[in-house]
Amino acid sequence: MMMTKSTIAIALCLLALLAMGGARAEDGKTKTAAYFQSAAFNAPILDGWENQSTAAIAQFHLAEAAATIRTASVNASDPRAAAAAEVSALTGLEPAQPIYSDKVNLADGTWTVLVYDLDAATTASVMARVAGERIAVISFIEREPTARTALLTLAQADDALSEATPEIAAAAAAIAGVSLGDLAEAESVRLPSGEWISFAGDGVAAMGLVFGNDSYVALQAGEPGDLATLADAWNRTLLGFFITPDNSAYLALALAAVFIILAVLVGSLFWRERNLRKDLALLAQISRIEN
Amino acid sequence: MADKPKPLPSDPQIEASPQPRLLRILTIITVLGFAGTLALGLRVAGTDIQQGEIQRIFYIHMPSFFGAFTAFGLTVVGGGVYLARKSEKWDRIALAGVEVGLAFSLINLLTGSIWARPIWNTWWTWDPRLTSAAIMCLTYAAYLMLRAGIDDLDRRRAFMSVYGILAFVTVLITLFIIRIVPETIHPVIIGASPQNAQGGFEATSGVVIALVPSLLLWLTVMPITLMWHRARLEARLEALNRLKIQALSE
Repeated sequence: MMMTKSTIAIALCLLALLAMGGARAEDGKTKTAAYFQSAAFNAPILDGWENQSTAAIAQFHLAEAAATIRTASVNASDPRAAAAAEVSALTGLEPAQPIYSDKVNLADGTWTVLVYDLDAATTASVMARVAGERIAVISFIEREPTARTALLTLAQADDALSEATPEIAAAAAAIAGVSLGDLAEAESVRLPSGEWISFAGDGVAAMGLVFGNDSYVALQAGEPGDLATLADAWNRTLLGFFITPDNSAYLALALAAVFIILAVLVGSLFWRERNLRKDLALLAQISRIEN
Repeated sequence: MADKPKPLPSDPQIEASPQPRLLRILTIITVLGFAGTLALGLRVAGTDIQQGEIQRIFYIHMPSFFGAFTAFGLTVVGGGVYLARKSEKWDRIALAGVEVGLAFSLINLLTGSIWARPIWNTWWTWDPRLTSAAIMCLTYAAYLMLRAGIDDLDRRRAFMSVYGILAFVTVLITLFIIRIVPETIHPVIIGASPQNAQGGFEATSGVVIALVPSLLLWLTVMPITLMWHRARLEARLEALNRLKIQALSE
């Protein structure tokens, strides 16, 4: 009797846990996630930026820098077409040829890096890569008439260096037409994304960060602005971007394995029980024949 | 009028006695609990955005190991008590523990291997935890083979009791190896470990909600219920064998 009561108590506890589980999960849905999550990708939510995201697009805006960082999954034929479509959708401007174009291999694939000079006030830095049937595009748009900012990712020219100086020099020459000699001595700047190296000159600022085999470079021409904030946000978006893998077939396989093993275990009990009954019947038959 | 047939030699244990009420209740709890915890893991807990859907197998993978731990632990208890009291009932409990524990261990091993394919990009690696778990499974599979190979009942029971107690070392090694050997890629979920030196496991509420009931079910009710059914069947099989011997000797 005591045993039965204990069992019922255990059962009630288990059911209560199950019910609490459901209720707490409902509560959990209202919590703010650190990540924007969609079926196509995940992107970090940028603290201090206005969150303008929709269900399928992660978009963050910083009013004081007139800057927007947007991540989207685009149905396009190739990364360049997807990048152009995204820039057009964000700015309403048709992008001409990019002023900078390159490809870089990151841990999650090969990205196309593009910089557009759209009009007197608008610049765009875009990274795009193939993601299954679609193209993942991360765009940075700045609408600031007094400054022009470009954010790039470059393969590290010299992986023995822990500083991004060669990549900064290459980007500064390609985009702003300045050499490192025109800029002041480098300084080290500590940002949430890491230890950046920073150069400043007459109307030009540059920053760089080495991460893995690549360097992240930010260039700004014009009035000095929020380059560190923009570089840090861009870097966190790129490094934080990832696509949730679709491995539900493996889950189905694992569940099938669980059910098969349990079925074999329980089935063997029934099978042995059935054989036991058969043997008993046989013994009874032999006993009858003997009589 | 035909002669009344000679009655079948009987053994009180072979009659299909009705299931104890407690066992029926436990069986219902096991079935409902399994369905409920499965629903929590598949429907209520959120999708791990980094690992994807396959992470949900964690709600079975980890509890199944602890279920095996309970079953193999009861084998130790059964073996120990049998050696002390020579009561057949405890030998049957020990055997039931091995069968149920082995099934749970295989679930643990297979689900882990299937999880590893998309996450580690391999079905199998000779990691200390995986290797020790495989050795544990083989050790208990050998228990069943050895048991079937010993004819003398008393010798079989005594030998397998000792074997069942010693085999538990493989369970303890599997349990603790990731805390002893730092060269493992197996995740460490609870507590400090060499792998967690740079930050421990942090479970969201969704993970806890799905994991705790599943852990409780697999750790307690599920192995005990299955073992009880298996031990009852073994009692009847032993009684049947006695009947067969009796019938042959007449």
